[in-house]
Amino acid sequence: MRDVIRILIAPLVWLAAFSAVYGLHGLICGHGITGTALGLPLPRLLLLAAYALAILLQLALLAALYHPRVSATEGFTRFVSRATGWAGLVAAVWTLLPVAVTSYCG
Amino acid sequence: MLAGAAAIFALVMVLLALPFLRRGKDAPEARGIKVWIIGLGLAFPMAVLAALLAYGLTVGERLLPRAEDGAIRVEAEGRQSGWTFRYADQPGRSTSGVLHIPAGRPVDVDITTGDVIHSFWVPRLAGKLDAIPGYVNTLRIEADAPGDYAGVSAEFSGIGYAGLTFTVTAHDEAGWQAFLGDDPQ
Amino acid sequence: MNALQRHRRLTTIWASDPGLRGWFTTVNHTDLGRMFLMASFFFFIVAGILAMLIRAQLATPHSAFAGPEIYNQIFTMHGVIMMFLFAIPTFEGLVVYLLPKILGTRDLAFPRLTAYGFWCYIFGGTMMLVSMLLGIAPDGGWFMYPPLTGPLYSPGINTDFWLIGITFVEISAIAAAVEITVSILKYRAPGMSLDKMPIFAWYALVTALMILTGFPPLILGSVLLEVERAFGFPFFQADLGGDSLLWQHLFWLFGHPEVYIIFLPAAGVISTVLPVMCRTTLLGYGWIVAAAVALAFLSFGLWVHHMFTTGIPHMGLAFFSAASTLVAVPTGVQIFAWIGTMWRGRPELRMPMLHLLGFFVTFVIGGLTGVMVAVVPFDWQAHDTAFITAHLHYVLFGGFVFPVLAGLYYWMPHVTGRKRFFRLGEFAFGMIFVGFHVTFLAMHWVGLLGQRRRIPTYAPEDGWTAVNLISSVGSFVMAIGIAMVLIDVILNVVTAVRGTRNPWGAGTLEWAMIQPAPAYNFASLPHVTERDPLYGTPDMALRLARGEGYLGEPRRDWRETVTVDIASGRPDFHVIYPANTRLPIVMSAVTGLFFLSLLLKAYWITPFAMAGVAVLAWRWVWSLGRKEDIGPQAIGQDITVPHAAQVARAPGWWGSVFLLTANATFFGSLLFGFAFLWTVAPGWPPTEWLPASLWELGLGLLGAALAPAAMHGASRALRRGGRPRLGLALAFGGTGMLAVSVGAMMLHTPPPVEHAYNATLFVLGGYAMFHVTLGALMIGFLAARVRRGYASAARQSEFPIVTLWIDYLAAVGALALLAGHLPGLLA
Repeated sequence: MRDVIRILIAPLVWLAAFSAVYGLHGLICGHGITGTALGLPLPRLLLLAAYALAILLQLALLAALYHPRVSATEGFTRFVSRATGWAGLVAAVWTLLPVAVTSYCG
Repeated sequence: MLAGAAAIFALVMVLLALPFLRRGKDAPEARGIKVWIIGLGLAFPMAVLAALLAYGLTVGERLLPRAEDGAIRVEAEGRQSGWTFRYADQPGRSTSGVLHIPAGRPVDVDITTGDVIHSFWVPRLAGKLDAIPGYVNTLRIEADAPGDYAGVSAEFSGIGYAGLTFTVTAHDEAGWQAFLGDDPQ
Repeated sequence: MNALQRHRRLTTIWASDPGLRGWFTTVNHTDLGRMFLMASFFFFIVAGILAMLIRAQLATPHSAFAGPEIYNQIFTMHGVIMMFLFAIPTFEGLVVYLLPKILGTRDLAFPRLTAYGFWCYIFGGTMMLVSMLLGIAPDGGWFMYPPLTGPLYSPGINTDFWLIGITFVEISAIAAAVEITVSILKYRAPGMSLDKMPIFAWYALVTALMILTGFPPLILGSVLLEVERAFGFPFFQADLGGDSLLWQHLFWLFGHPEVYIIFLPAAGVISTVLPVMCRTTLLGYGWIVAAAVALAFLSFGLWVHHMFTTGIPHMGLAFFSAASTLVAVPTGVQIFAWIGTMWRGRPELRMPMLHLLGFFVTFVIGGLTGVMVAVVPFDWQAHDTAFITAHLHYVLFGGFVFPVLAGLYYWMPHVTGRKRFFRLGEFAFGMIFVGFHVTFLAMHWVGLLGQRRRIPTYAPEDGWTAVNLISSVGSFVMAIGIAMVLIDVILNVVTAVRGTRNPWGAGTLEWAMIQPAPAYNFASLPHVTERDPLYGTPDMALRLARGEGYLGEPRRDWRETVTVDIASGRPDFHVIYPANTRLPIVMSAVTGLFFLSLLLKAYWITPFAMAGVAVLAWRWVWSLGRKEDIGPQAIGQDITVPHAAQVARAPGWWGSVFLLTANATFFGSLLFGFAFLWTVAPGWPPTEWLPASLWELGLGLLGAALAPAAMHGASRALRRGGRPRLGLALAFGGTGMLAVSVGAMMLHTPPPVEHAYNATLFVLGGYAMFHVTLGALMIGFLAARVRRGYASAARQSEFPIVTLWIDYLAAVGALALLAGHLPGLLA
């Protein structure tokens, strides 16, 4: 079971992060959060922070999957879990990229 | 987009046909993975898709209504029995089945529904946007030239769905003023 | 004992009942798999005929063939039957038939559950057919958007057939998914570690996990909409705090993964058949596994792309647009891995290969148009036009029907034991291929010309007449092709000559047995040391028949098998399957009565039906028990393993884990719905919150803490040879406290018909109450077991299972109570 979890964990965390950022975006637009901080509009700042957090989480997971104490012992699971780890990272960077480039509540 | 898709399709078809012609030699798996999976399976689609996504997001962003550019505001209310239109420039005025707009000026249509979900679609003027109970959705349209533009409801709404159409009439400046000047009966 | 004697002995143990009776009492996966497939192909034909009616209607302008009342039912039922009664059951049937054989074992994990799922599918499907024959079929489109399908705009019974019938059928999908997951993880041939699993099993595993997490949102949506229709709870009514967009979110949260739930098993077929057709092995096995997993997850992040025109802010759309483009990458990995496989080998144009080529051509086009509609501005134009209809048919026909036809021709010799004799298939393929592309290329075109989907007719001035006519002609060519496949199959089943074993020279284990397959699959279980065992050991079938594998000596009347450790494939427990029984069909009939009572609004029957299901379920589980310990069992090759009843993580425990996964997704979707309405729906906040009570909340939380703690205690006590009674009594008390607290919350909730907040809270309470009742029943069951002497320190496996359920019930009970009381406390 642990091997199955190693394979599933990174994309699962991506899915959670993706849904959470979408939820955060809905919350921001639904409640009309405004204001600025650090020279950026507050909504953008919050979303960017969430984006960064999602990427950091994926990086941490990937590092863990490469760490000898956490990674799978058997070659095949090690390979697949690292591949899905990379998939999770790419997915986080790619799918949440809009927080940096599009207008948030238009 | 169509040309790109056709090119990719042609490429795949050629790759699919070739192995039938050249009688295969068992190439080492590592090489196959490098060429087929990493090269054609990962790198190639990611490059194409990144470009496409960037394009899509840019265009989408450009189509959004902007508050500052003084667009005309009209209201479109969908019902299973037909569309009704109201005009911010002339409160109290409403038309059924025909939406009047000035040509050459941006118009923001506030789309609402009186019953089920509908969708406001004038193919030649803009994409479609749904009319959803409890929400006001705003669509930016602009007619380049005066004339009649066909519009339809584009979300299935029951028995009368096929006949749920309307017309957008774009007036020149004089026609628009005349429309606004009409007695609001 | 020689091979023939062994065959006879095993056949008496494993065979289904003779004659007609056997159809209703069988729990054998080979029988049920064939029955599933026959039923699903029957529904395919029905839905295909509906498709022909649609094309007949649209062939000419101003068609008077069917009025909108009938036409709306036709296109709705076409979609509903194809999706729910053909595609998913075909996957279930294929997997039920194939999985134990390809994994080198004798049956699936829970044979009676297979039968129960099958009969739920049959009864639910019959319900849908009846609605169609009576002319009161669902007519709101297959995705049934409220408020059109709500009580105000669709007061008839049509919509109820969809909501209730499909939910009934979904039971079979969930049952199959639980079963498939446990079977793949635990029921494999000894030695088959994860990396030696046939690729088909990986695909089936990923698909099953997706069903477990993809279907619950749909089931929740159906329950909520039916409750709205039957009792007026306003979940989807904007003026009472509901939101019709909630339905769209729940539906597409299911609906998009559904596309991949349909595609992935087909990809499993391709990955299995293609290398054999090319005389080589699959390129990049590990990559394909990773791609399938990535695809599965990404597919859960696409659902909003069905809602691009609903007015969601651009950034929200952009997330899903990005995810929708990214999902093409793992798909591309698989496509190119398959093409690379062809380059490595020597592809031969045999019958299955033709359909695989049909798949490539069609699916690649479908994928490319899919990427187009992932681009938001393009979708704003194409959405809800015939372009989308054409796109989805390219994906589903290309990505499912062609591979299934390839699989049909590939495994037909396995099912029939015959060699294909009549050569109708090649011609049929040509007709299907040409017919399909004519039909749907034309449909793309007419969609770009602006024809909306779901319109019953159009005018000659629209300029769509010629294109539609071409499309209709194509569809009839395709239909003739399908009919020819049917005739081809029937002819070959009935009259063809007997074939050789393993006619394709495949490497997987399903070919290492007599064909047609015997009821017990393998006379002895193989020991697997490589991914394609038959390539290394070509005489595997003979050796197994001679009893050289595990469990080669039949004992008593036991239907035996072994389970394995998930990762390594080391044998770990000995399992005795239940034998033929009428219980599954009776229980699904009573389940059907429950759904029927809801459909006909005969609510006085409902509690009786529920009680009936509970009684039957009690019997179901009770009959597995033993009054004496079964010691460790020798399975051959000098290996002895404990019996499954003696271990903490028995198959039932694993089944519960995955059923609870689906259940938790359901509950999570309900909480999501609550949060969604709260933050997004117009008409919030409600005028009054639930009057919060620290006393009630405290009592419930105390119960939620007590029940699992006591259950764990009881479990531990039994394992150490002590008495579990005190623990069971305390756990029962804990569930009682929860029941009181939840009951009080439901009583104090303001009238549910007045606001969606009240309605949601009431449903949360009802959900918790249902689980409290279930938990109490389970504890009662264990108490009865202990009393009658069915439990001992060795026969302990039922305790951890109930403990798991009590843990879950405590968690959802506590969450429901917190969701109810916290807003009032904070306000």
